Amino acid sequence: MTSGRRDATVGHPLGAGPVRRPPLVLVFVAVLMIALGETAGAVLSQLRPQTERYARARVKANASVHGLVGAADYDAEVTSRAVFTAEAGLSFMHTHAEGLGPVILLAGTLAATAVPWRRMRAILYALFTLGALFPLGYLVYAVAVLEAGRDEGTALAEQYVLTPLGSAVILALVGLVMALGRGRSRAA
Amino acid sequence: MTEARSETWLAPSVPVLLIAVLIIAGAEVGGASMVKFKLELARWARGTMLARPDTHGLVGVRDVDEQILDEALVKFDAGLRLFHMHAEGMGTIIIVSTMVATTLVRAGAFRRAIVLLITVGGAGYPLGYLLWSALIPFYGIERGKTLAEWMVWIPFGGAAIVALWMLAGALALRLVRR
Repeated sequence: MTSGRRDATVGHPLGAGPVRRPPLVLVFVAVLMIALGETAGAVLSQLRPQTERYARARVKANASVHGLVGAADYDAEVTSRAVFTAEAGLSFMHTHAEGLGPVILLAGTLAATAVPWRRMRAILYALFTLGALFPLGYLVYAVAVLEAGRDEGTALAEQYVLTPLGSAVILALVGLVMALGRGRSRAA
Repeated sequence: MTEARSETWLAPSVPVLLIAVLIIAGAEVGGASMVKFKLELARWARGTMLARPDTHGLVGVRDVDEQILDEALVKFDAGLRLFHMHAEGMGTIIIVSTMVATTLVRAGAFRRAIVLLITVGGAGYPLGYLLWSALIPFYGIERGKTLAEWMVWIPFGGAAIVALWMLAGALALRLVRR
């Protein structure tokens, strides 16, 4: 591993020294995601009728992208499917934000404590901070489904938000595993 | 708190950790019990509901009643599952968020308020799902939900949400002031 200078004060096995924290910005983004996740859960539960009403109104306002044809039975089914998908987006945001926030904090802590190379740590922090925003992709997904249609909205959210941010987390986790493995073999 | 000191994580107090671990352990036991005692639980819920036909709108017609009982049993089971999931998640969130507050929130009273609200709110909230499940056979799905909402979900969930936004605000302020 040649990612920058080795920091003598970092890179010890966990338990052999103080557990360092990642940069404040990473901690802030992770906590913000957890707070947003909690709030999304409350909105889903307490404001479900209002959320559904809003979603139905947006589908009606974007009738052409949803392919509404004016036939009551058909339109009702299309609208229900779009509303269900938008609500699923909010639900995914709730679960992913609650899960990913702690994961990012833990992974950032591992990087801060056990990765001895300063530049490598900086890259990992950047990727983890970016990746922590992944659950927001589901909020985009929920809105995009209502505004651009179910298939088009899903594709937009996946292509421009969920895939890049999710890839950042995966890349960071792979980098962390490699750095931990390399640091361990050097220490041995 | 000095900058150098805040470069390493400070553990939350032992009572906070104990509560978080207890709620996680409760979730694990809840999950295991759901599987192990699935039949017994369903039998108890069904028996309790059959003893209260008026509460559940049972009319004595098998086709109609079975549908009502099935729906209530699905919700009864869902409440137990949601307790399992939320208790596991909230236990973890109590640990990480109180660790962040203990390490990075400087103002003592504000820090204590955040830690208290997250711990009490986070630990209490999942119990609402257990309460909902327990109330369904006695009061029905909707009445049970309303009771659980006002007795547990709104006060405890509200406390946890407020505390997390207080923590996010404190961190944002710290970022801006750097």
